[in-house]
Amino acid sequence: MKYDFAVIGAGPAGYVAAKKAASAGLKVVMIEKKKLGGVCLNEGCVPSKTLLQAAKTYHHAKHGSIFGVEAGSLSFDFGKAHAHKNSVMDRMRDGIAGLMKKHKVEVIEGEAKLLKGSSFSVNGETHEAENILLCTGSSPSIPPIPGIEAEHIVDSTGILNIDTLPKNLVIVGGGVIGCEFACVYASVGVPVTVLEAMPEICPNLDSEIAAILRKELEKKGVTFQLGAKVESFEGKSVRYNLQGETKDMDADLVLVATGRRPNVAGLGLEDIGLDFDPRGGVKVDNRGATNLPGLWAAGDVTGQAWLAHAASRMGEVVVNNIKGQKDQMRHDTMPAVVYTSPEVAVVGLTKEEAIERGMKVKTGKIPMAINARYIAENPGEEGMCKVVLEAETNRLIGVHMVGGACSEMIFGATAMLETELREEEIAEIVFPHPTTSEIMKDVFMAVR
Amino acid sequence: MPRQGQSVESCILTEWKVKPGDTVAEGDVLAVIETDKASFDLESTASGTVLELFWAADDDVPVLANVIAIGEEGENIDDLRPQGAGATAPPEPVANSTPDAPTANASTVQQTIAPSQADSSTSSYKPSSGVSPRARKKAMNLGVDAETLVGTGPGGRVIERDIDAFLAGTPRLSASARIRAKEQGLEAPVRGSGIAGMALASDMRQPGSIEGAEVEPVKGIRKLIAERMMQSLQGTAQLTLHSSFDLTNCQAYRKKRLADGESKVSINDLIAQAILAALKVHPEMNAHFLGDRLAVFHEVNLGIAVDSPRGLMVPVVQEASKMSIEMLSSEIKKKAIACREGTIQPDDLSGGTFTLTNLGMLGVENFTPVLNPPEIAILGVGGISLKPKRSADGEVSFVDQISLSLTIDHQAIDGAPAARFLQTLVTHLENHPGENPQIIEGEE
Repeated sequence: MKYDFAVIGAGPAGYVAAKKAASAGLKVVMIEKKKLGGVCLNEGCVPSKTLLQAAKTYHHAKHGSIFGVEAGSLSFDFGKAHAHKNSVMDRMRDGIAGLMKKHKVEVIEGEAKLLKGSSFSVNGETHEAENILLCTGSSPSIPPIPGIEAEHIVDSTGILNIDTLPKNLVIVGGGVIGCEFACVYASVGVPVTVLEAMPEICPNLDSEIAAILRKELEKKGVTFQLGAKVESFEGKSVRYNLQGETKDMDADLVLVATGRRPNVAGLGLEDIGLDFDPRGGVKVDNRGATNLPGLWAAGDVTGQAWLAHAASRMGEVVVNNIKGQKDQMRHDTMPAVVYTSPEVAVVGLTKEEAIERGMKVKTGKIPMAINARYIAENPGEEGMCKVVLEAETNRLIGVHMVGGACSEMIFGATAMLETELREEEIAEIVFPHPTTSEIMKDVFMAVR
Repeated sequence: MPRQGQSVESCILTEWKVKPGDTVAEGDVLAVIETDKASFDLESTASGTVLELFWAADDDVPVLANVIAIGEEGENIDDLRPQGAGATAPPEPVANSTPDAPTANASTVQQTIAPSQADSSTSSYKPSSGVSPRARKKAMNLGVDAETLVGTGPGGRVIERDIDAFLAGTPRLSASARIRAKEQGLEAPVRGSGIAGMALASDMRQPGSIEGAEVEPVKGIRKLIAERMMQSLQGTAQLTLHSSFDLTNCQAYRKKRLADGESKVSINDLIAQAILAALKVHPEMNAHFLGDRLAVFHEVNLGIAVDSPRGLMVPVVQEASKMSIEMLSSEIKKKAIACREGTIQPDDLSGGTFTLTNLGMLGVENFTPVLNPPEIAILGVGGISLKPKRSADGEVSFVDQISLSLTIDHQAIDGAPAARFLQTLVTHLENHPGENPQIIEGEE
């Protein structure tokens, strides 16, 4: 068959691009070897957020006494939480299938292999497409630690299929994924230990924000071992090195959350002469174009961002460019969220990143505790809002928040960054009272 | 009506600043004129009394047509009236007077003007803003309310390009981009890199920049070269004649010099020396064409085109005709080095009577050199190529040849004498390379 546009991978980059291209009148095919929705829907965002909500609900019930709510006999059925998770996933997958049908996107189940000259094969048949979008996502990256093959040691995909609570959980890696699972299990009473090799968790975050998150998770019962390097697994024992000292601890369940790597194997990419970047992702420019004409890439396979919404946007940018409409990625205004309790939400540059780029900056920060709505709803929980401004122009270039459900207001900061608003303009925006979002207005009082 | 650019055939006279009876001095502003790209002041080139305005405001005036008569009261100005203009235009002429003009050329005046590349940077008109007639007409045709636009013409006047820009859709500016535009006088691209094409602060650029290109002002030696080249191609009648010569004897001569322990000379030196020899025979080629006079020089001051880091330079070997091949060779080398090192004296860059330019070492086979006016001839030298040659007994063999291209100013000299000069040059190079011109003179 000959198509206008072929999408390889049905994750958030793929199905968004497929729908957009089909709405524009292109003849579109989408190939998926596993399930529609990609890592986001099947192994990432959606299932983990369902479990986080289950844990949060339990936590609220258990700690409702400050509001006068006492739950007598409280229990947690992890199996039920998983059943809810599975039903959400089924519903979302059906949604995507319906969307593809509605927009007349042909969906082929199978493994695609790219061939030279804008063609590809799937299920033994060869097809052609004027443009091909490669969005095969990523997989958990497993470090070569002796004994890591043991059955009780799982990655972020594996842990989502375990519907019983372990006696204790050891998480290797204190990044976003590690912190989210630490929050799930600690909230429902499972002792959790996080072994992080760096001096602070979530090294990509502003260090002050990361420290607040760590303290809040510690309050929930998570133990963090910073600067801890795992050396081996023997039986149920985990051996790690903590500042030169060898330590052992027993683990009923181990989650390895040491990052992800782009899915680039088995696609015939080397044979067609595709360029890769030094981190192993498919090399693309800011439009998503690879070095081969007509071949584009979006999402985790490029090794950029590792975020579902970034992947969707990259898919959109590719389709716009194919349609002849100029569009480009703006990674500097890409928001990112850690869905722990409390949540972390950030967009733009940290102070250190800005200085590294040779910018002169001003910063301001205030605790969430000055906000009436915040302390009413999140008693005893620490939070912070921090802004970074370009000193000469007062242009807002970074917003970093930890506290409550701040993920729901980061889009406002994103809009401010996208339109390059300055302190002067933001001062005229009205924020409804009482909302936690007012923190975004008040923080400017602290700018210096 | 001065010419405002290469492709501008007419200008709209948008506003008169004087009326008949006014006294004007040289340099006074007479009127405002406009191309499709910019407005200009029309300045007086004479002093006196305004006797008559030949065109009405808003008239489309062909370039080089007379627009006004300035002189002394009572002078007869009938001969000055341009064809196409109202023959006796009253002081308050009716608009669009041209269709009434009963002349053969009226149609050329009415013709629509094609968009041009007119220079828009020299606008000097300041006071009134408003909308230009050309812009107003276009706006009305296209349903644009020109009054609501912010113009980029003098004093914020809305001109045709503003209507074009409006229709093309100018990008929205981010808050920070707007501040930069205001404070630093920067300009937004047609489409910015921000959300839905919004222009961001980092997109703002100096007016006149071009997307995807580094834009630099043309100045210094580049500007000079540009002016000279246009002068040359516009002001002379260039004709190029091509020939080539057999290199065999030149190579043999050079080899012999080395064998005899003499200084090394290049092929280029031999060609320079051959030019001097040929000019002895054809002195009419060693001349300057000065419009109404032709100056034929006694001595040859030979210009040598040099590729310097700052651009093309043409140092002159003064009185080259008096030099031996050794001296000529050393002088050429010295001048070229001085150009490349930037130590050349200004006096060494002028006074040439004939120029030699060589692109052979860059693999060029043939090219048409551009005259260095007022000189009337320039010789271009190409690279070495293998060509078949038939000897006197009919045998065909391959020999190394170099192509020669002689550009002449046909105003000053005809093709046949130039061809004869070229013939002499080739003969000299093929038979007497490196030999003193006096010897050849003696032979002939």
